[in-house]
Amino acid sequence: MNKGLLVTLALLGLAGCADTSWRTAETHEIMPPLDFSLVDENGQAVDAEDYAGKVTLVYFGYTFCPDVCPITLARLAGTLNRLDDDVRDDIQVLFITVDPERDTPDVVKRYTGAFGDAFIGITGERAEIDALTNRMRVTYEYETPNERGDYIVNHTSAVFAFDREGEAQFLIRDSHPINDAVADINRLVTES
Amino acid sequence: MVSNLFTTSRRWACGLAVALLTAGYAYGQDVQVSDARVSLLPGEQPGAGYFELYNAGDETLVLVGADSDAFETVELHVSSDQDGMAHMHEVEQVEVAAGERFAFAPKGHHLMFIGREKVLQEGDEVDVQLEFADDRHLSVTFDVISPASL
Repeated sequence: MNKGLLVTLALLGLAGCADTSWRTAETHEIMPPLDFSLVDENGQAVDAEDYAGKVTLVYFGYTFCPDVCPITLARLAGTLNRLDDDVRDDIQVLFITVDPERDTPDVVKRYTGAFGDAFIGITGERAEIDALTNRMRVTYEYETPNERGDYIVNHTSAVFAFDREGEAQFLIRDSHPINDAVADINRLVTES
Repeated sequence: MVSNLFTTSRRWACGLAVALLTAGYAYGQDVQVSDARVSLLPGEQPGAGYFELYNAGDETLVLVGADSDAFETVELHVSSDQDGMAHMHEVEQVEVAAGERFAFAPKGHHLMFIGREKVLQEGDEVDVQLEFADDRHLSVTFDVISPASL
């Protein structure tokens, strides 16, 4: 190996150290700031600005979801539990339903209550939810109801992270190791 | 006398048939279930059942459904992630080959417990009948757990 190549490799290594990208998936360049007019779990009209000041994690789901949604929220609760108390106090998780007809404020409040105080249920007008999901390029689709009238909703599975000003930063997928999610959330809170 | 005997035999046969239809054939050591738990979600939301099924027998095991007195209905479901979208749909049956294990686990196959028939709380136990092809069944006790513990 010649010296030139060694120097090049060393510089690449340094560049790697200075790399500020997230360990999960970057969204800053591709996703607009958090913006919505919805209804919180207490029935109050809320805007995205009401949640400024803390780091916000957003998950879209629905409560008639026995597996994926509660597992995602439980794992997110487990992720937050690995952070220091003062870091955790600066984080809020918005569970935004894509099934507002069944998910009234009371229903989302009971559901998110199972996962901790940081979890806040959000519902609202379907048109307002659509405006938000369209902006964020989040998709969901309803399946045909069965004979009992129950229906499944397929929905985006990622958790989206926004800084204290509501700027998009990164998203966490199932495939991301929990250590990466912990590191990125911790950094987002402590550096902003 | 002949008629009486015939009637008696027929009644006995009918009774046996009803008993068999009701009870089916219980599985013994050939089918083993471990780590059976059902998540209790707040309000009337459905819960998910997880467990591991081990087919210690010589033939393929075919799970076709489940039933519980504690719930209105129990369905076999599978969750999957396709291009970042969480999907869920009902499945007709799950086959487990001889000597194989099959996990009903978070974000995969699970039982969907819909419509609570009785008040449940964490720490309770729920009896569930796993129903297999050929009218066989297995009684399993599921622990009721918090979804936050998953």
